[in-house]
Amino acid sequence: MTESTDTTGTPDDEAATPPRRSLPVRIGRAAGWTLVWLGALTLGFVAHQLWITSWYAQQNQHELAQERVAQWAETSITEVAVQPADTGEPNEDPGDTPPPVYLKVESAPELHAAFALIRIPSIERLADGWNVVEGVTRADLKTGTGHMPDTALPGQPGNAVISGHRTTYGQPFHELDQLQPGDLIEVETALGTHVYAVRETLVVAPTELSVTEPKPGAWLTLTTCHPKFSARQRLVVVAELVAGPNFEAIQEMS
Amino acid sequence: MIRRLYRMLPGPTPVRILLSIVIIAGVLVGLHFFYDWLGTIVFDTGGTVG
Repeated sequence: MTESTDTTGTPDDEAATPPRRSLPVRIGRAAGWTLVWLGALTLGFVAHQLWITSWYAQQNQHELAQERVAQWAETSITEVAVQPADTGEPNEDPGDTPPPVYLKVESAPELHAAFALIRIPSIERLADGWNVVEGVTRADLKTGTGHMPDTALPGQPGNAVISGHRTTYGQPFHELDQLQPGDLIEVETALGTHVYAVRETLVVAPTELSVTEPKPGAWLTLTTCHPKFSARQRLVVVAELVAGPNFEAIQEMS
Repeated sequence: MIRRLYRMLPGPTPVRILLSIVIIAGVLVGLHFFYDWLGTIVFDTGGTVG
């Protein structure tokens, strides 16, 4: 009985060994195989970035939605009295101070936890909403869009900054460049729905921290990579609060 | 080349098949982390500023 075992160096194997090829042929074959492997690795990279990361983000969105609802149930909401801004006009009666305005404030979300939902009705991908987690580490942004800590919470005075992927991990901000001035952006938190209107779109360097700085009124700044499939620059969308639980109080403050 | 690598594995065929599966899984996991790292450097960092 003939055994077709896997041992090396058998007479059969030696007989099957092809004759030694010339150096140019061997170099050509090596170059060919190298290109084949490089092509396979590149295709794998593209498939990983486009599909596997998006699948991962979609899976996480379901979990984050449950986490967000639980977080809202635990969030405590308080009203804080704030003195309206000084108008600069002389006040003849020192005792006649304007009454304070009351701002609704929610407790700070836990780091890395989902606490908000961002919706952009004019962008199909974001029409149903995308969860926002607290934090902008690499791990945070793999699961959703991330709110930059130390910036204002959505719906509060100041500048709330939210970052998100453009071409990978679900591509939440893929079509952010299509937003026009006046388009609405809704951010839902435990307080309610805060509606912002787009005011301007900028392209800046990744180190341009000035776009995250606080400013009078209530603003929302969305940042993502630009151009698509490149991390060379940042696309920045600046929007102003136009409706929501704190809108009137913030108007009176400023 | 793949056939040659397979023949270099020790043990009988079942062991070689098992080893192949473990090695392929290891390579895929390594590639995942490499692609992930490369993607966040080259393609899309997540859009953060600063």
